[in-house]
Amino acid sequence: MSVASRALTGAIRGYQLTVSPLTGPRCKYHPSCSHFAIEAIQVHGAFVGAGLAGWRLLRCNPWSNGGVDDVPAKGERLFRLTRNNAAMLTDQTSARPI
Amino acid sequence: MLDTILYPLEWVVANVMVIWHQIWTFIGLDPASGITWALAIVGLVVTIRAALIPLFVKQINASRAMQVIAPDLKKIQDKYKGKKDQASREAMSRETMELYSKHKTNPFASCLPMLVQAPIFFALFRVLNYRLEGGGTAEQSAGIGLLTDQLAEQAQNATLFGAQLSDSFFNSEGAAAKVLSVVLIVAMVATTFLTQHQLTRRNLPASALEGPMAQQQKILMYALPFIFVITGPNFPVGVLIYWTTTNVWTFGQQWYVIRNNPTPGSEADRAYKERMEAKRVKRALRKGEDPYAKPEIEASEEDATETKRSGQRQQPKRKNRGGGKPQALPANDDKDPS
Repeated sequence: MSVASRALTGAIRGYQLTVSPLTGPRCKYHPSCSHFAIEAIQVHGAFVGAGLAGWRLLRCNPWSNGGVDDVPAKGERLFRLTRNNAAMLTDQTSARPI
Repeated sequence: MLDTILYPLEWVVANVMVIWHQIWTFIGLDPASGITWALAIVGLVVTIRAALIPLFVKQINASRAMQVIAPDLKKIQDKYKGKKDQASREAMSRETMELYSKHKTNPFASCLPMLVQAPIFFALFRVLNYRLEGGGTAEQSAGIGLLTDQLAEQAQNATLFGAQLSDSFFNSEGAAAKVLSVVLIVAMVATTFLTQHQLTRRNLPASALEGPMAQQQKILMYALPFIFVITGPNFPVGVLIYWTTTNVWTFGQQWYVIRNNPTPGSEADRAYKERMEAKRVKRALRKGEDPYAKPEIEASEEDATETKRSGQRQQPKRKNRGGGKPQALPANDDKDPS
């Protein structure tokens, strides 16, 4: 990992340990934005990873539906409007779709 | 760079403060008094949080929709009941989030409301530190918007219990600002803790309160509000007033949501149902009916529909079993090969 990647990851870990527990769970996505950011930096490096994390933060707003959204693998399309999710729920649930 | 980015926000913050200052003055408070300027900051909080209310209403509507998916949620929780290892918790979290997404609802607010407030907070910090105190460059300390140099000077000289709004614990003379800082920091720690405590104790289902993460969360809940003890003494009294007020608002808002839209399976949910039941009994008594006669009828009606439904479901199963082959129940009848 490069110096930039380490610095960013350290900053995010710092956020997770200090600020995040104060606010309680609030991310609409799984993995949460901060976990997504760490993974994105690990997979894609500091520059692209930070871009992906920023894009995720923008998508984590009151008008999105949230859900499972994984870091895209290398070579996959990076910036999607919708989620990157290989494992959507396929089985029928009893609740009426809204 | 930072000056340019924050200038518009500082302009908005200063103007809102001055407008609130004029409102308080109009009501009859002394314009040069510290309490008027402190209340102007409270007004700033009210304005910002009121502007965020539409997001809050959206959140309530989302939590109403949670009632619909409660049975599915229970199914997932049962599936992972007693499994406390990392992989199971992760899988459970994935499935839960997927369920929310599928029904276009989500109990979490996303971080946007918090992100919106952070720059406002910095802008206020700069207005108090530079525009009122007069620190920084000439450009940074010049009047802005409705906050003229004269008004800034008036605000600077205004004292609240002997402390200026731009005084901080470390950067002040005399005991007044130090005492006021300590009081406000204690209030900040208390409100942060209470908000967190209310959320975990009242609005989380029992399943979320077990596991290694829950224990860690509990320790953090007690330890972390004390971060304000470290950061707080550097902040001006005005910023501390802002922070404490916004904490109180958050607490009240959360209390309202937990009371009226509790998470299914939580302590608050139990209290909510009890309250609804008490209300129903009271209403029945006022009408002169026997309050305890009604639930029996409701219950038997429910039983009837339940047996009817299960009777319908069982029919195809019997046909399958006609072949005499013992086989596992098909998960989906349509795809059953036999």
